[in-house]
Amino acid sequence: MIEFDRVSLALGSFRLEEISLTIGRGDYYFIVGPSGAGKTVLLETIAGLHRPESGRVLLRDEEITTLPPEKRRVALVYQDYSLFPNMRVIDNVSYGLRVQGMRKKEARDEVVPLLERFGIAHLADRYPGTLSGGEQQRVSLARAIAVKPDILLLDEPLSALDPITQERFIGDLRRLHREDGLTIVQVSHSRREAHLLATRMAVIIDGYLVDEGKAGVVLNTPRSRDVATFVGIENILDGTVTANEDGHATVDAGGRTFEAMTDAAPGEEVSLCIRADDIILAVDGDRHSSARNTMAGTVVSVVENGPVAEVKVDAGVVLTAVLTRRSVRDLLLVAGTAVTLSIKATAIHVIRASS
Amino acid sequence: MDMKTQTRSTDPLPADGEPVAATRWKRERKRYTDWCTLGFCILGGLLVGITVLALANITMAELADPAHLIKIATSSTVIESILLTFGAGASAVLLLIVFGTPLAYILARSRPSRFKGVVESIIDIPLILPHTVAGLLVYLLFMRRGWLGAPLSDIGLAFEDALPGTIVAMLFVASPFYINSMREGFEKVPVHLENVARTLGAGTFTMFRTVSLPLSLRHMYSGAILAWGRAIGEFAGVIMIAYYPFIISTLIYYSFTTDGIRASRSIAFTVILISFGVFYLLRRMTRHLGRYDDRV
Repeated sequence: MIEFDRVSLALGSFRLEEISLTIGRGDYYFIVGPSGAGKTVLLETIAGLHRPESGRVLLRDEEITTLPPEKRRVALVYQDYSLFPNMRVIDNVSYGLRVQGMRKKEARDEVVPLLERFGIAHLADRYPGTLSGGEQQRVSLARAIAVKPDILLLDEPLSALDPITQERFIGDLRRLHREDGLTIVQVSHSRREAHLLATRMAVIIDGYLVDEGKAGVVLNTPRSRDVATFVGIENILDGTVTANEDGHATVDAGGRTFEAMTDAAPGEEVSLCIRADDIILAVDGDRHSSARNTMAGTVVSVVENGPVAEVKVDAGVVLTAVLTRRSVRDLLLVAGTAVTLSIKATAIHVIRASS
Repeated sequence: MDMKTQTRSTDPLPADGEPVAATRWKRERKRYTDWCTLGFCILGGLLVGITVLALANITMAELADPAHLIKIATSSTVIESILLTFGAGASAVLLLIVFGTPLAYILARSRPSRFKGVVESIIDIPLILPHTVAGLLVYLLFMRRGWLGAPLSDIGLAFEDALPGTIVAMLFVASPFYINSMREGFEKVPVHLENVARTLGAGTFTMFRTVSLPLSLRHMYSGAILAWGRAIGEFAGVIMIAYYPFIISTLIYYSFTTDGIRASRSIAFTVILISFGVFYLLRRMTRHLGRYDDRV
């Protein structure tokens, strides 16, 4: 639907470098990256608010690189909601229809169902300054939807909301995506939001697009160590391949030997990515299992976090495992407990240093 | 025992009804003085005091002979001059709104650059120049043989000793007040609001008309009032190009040099009263205009 073809642009001392990505119709596309990486600039470039220095932007195979924002049929929702403070809620929501030529009364009537849908009909005559954060966010979303955009652009829409309002808003966004079939592009630095909502995603670091693809693929099999760190892979170990037999490699990492699936040749430097929930702990010392990586270790710490617990185990190298609190209770895991740790070779994602 | 009973038992009421403990506390409490705030008030008060003293001085002198004051204040020369001054000032402000508002917006939204710095310095020139120099600049440009004066007089628009000359001199000296105020107003409008308006379908001018301008209205009012005040108070800048028709400052000067201090003082007092009244009314009228709750 929208395609960036080697787009570069400079904004003061910041640069976006040769960004290429494709957002398909109906995608829930996440742009993630650390603060200052250029996510919002990229979003604003999609909206047409910045003109690229080089490269092309295509919408439905038609070049729109210099097309002004008002002609792109995109709607933008900022993190700070950006409601017009001098207009009532109903005038904020009907603003887009009015500037597109609809009469005031007609535009107001048109948006009433939208106000009801987002549960803000009772706020119609209020000014934004008198609304809570969650209410402002819903007004902002209703205003964007009112113009029936082809693409909805969201700039960290959840970051300023309390957890309960966040959950409600995530529900609103899911409905918009699934029931209305809207294409949504969301900027976020939250991995959790990406897990919950994204169908595809791009990772941007320091103005460079470092990974792009299906959300599950980017989150579970990142292309680089930086991406792995950013998407929150709990265990990343740097090592060297010592042997490889038909893609079944042996890697020395952190003073231990691991077996993993990769085409990396012996002598090649790699990073091993192990999700914390792919690590299995046992306390009876039984080392017989199908898992190719089994090692003895000692629990260093147990930190409970909601229904799960994060268990750090020193097995020559410190690894983090995530268990249910019930498992921690059943296994009587405390600091100092001797455990056996198992990881399947296929559960280890190998990033080659050369990639 | 509830609190009420307890209070009654420990703080017996004296004859005037105030509890004994409360009066003792009031007597014994230590009063802390904020010397800094007090110092600021004294220093600021001295400044205000000079203006008050000057006003009191002229008021006392004028009220001593109300008949003379009324005679001067109701003379057609003074009334016409005041109307002319206010009208010329308003015309200058209107021109500033038309030409200065777009300039202020461009300055507010452009990135810092050497060129921008030069333009800003040019705008501020009337602030730093002696008014006679400002008047000379206007005269040289708009006199009958001036770069702009010559072609404009060819089409019948004369500036020397004419109302257009007064307006253009006022415009020149008042422009930084309006432009700087407006620019500050536009700078305070979050760019995000404009971006959102654009993506919702507003073209640049529609966005400016519906978002940027309404949110800067207060700055427009205060800038216009400041510029108008500056314009109607101009003397040196105006007399260089348009000694006639008499604006109020020229009339006071003329009266001072020909009729003496008494006549000029009465005109001045009349102007003070009218200006104070007009500015007070304008401030009152615009008090609620352009205000909005910006807690968003």
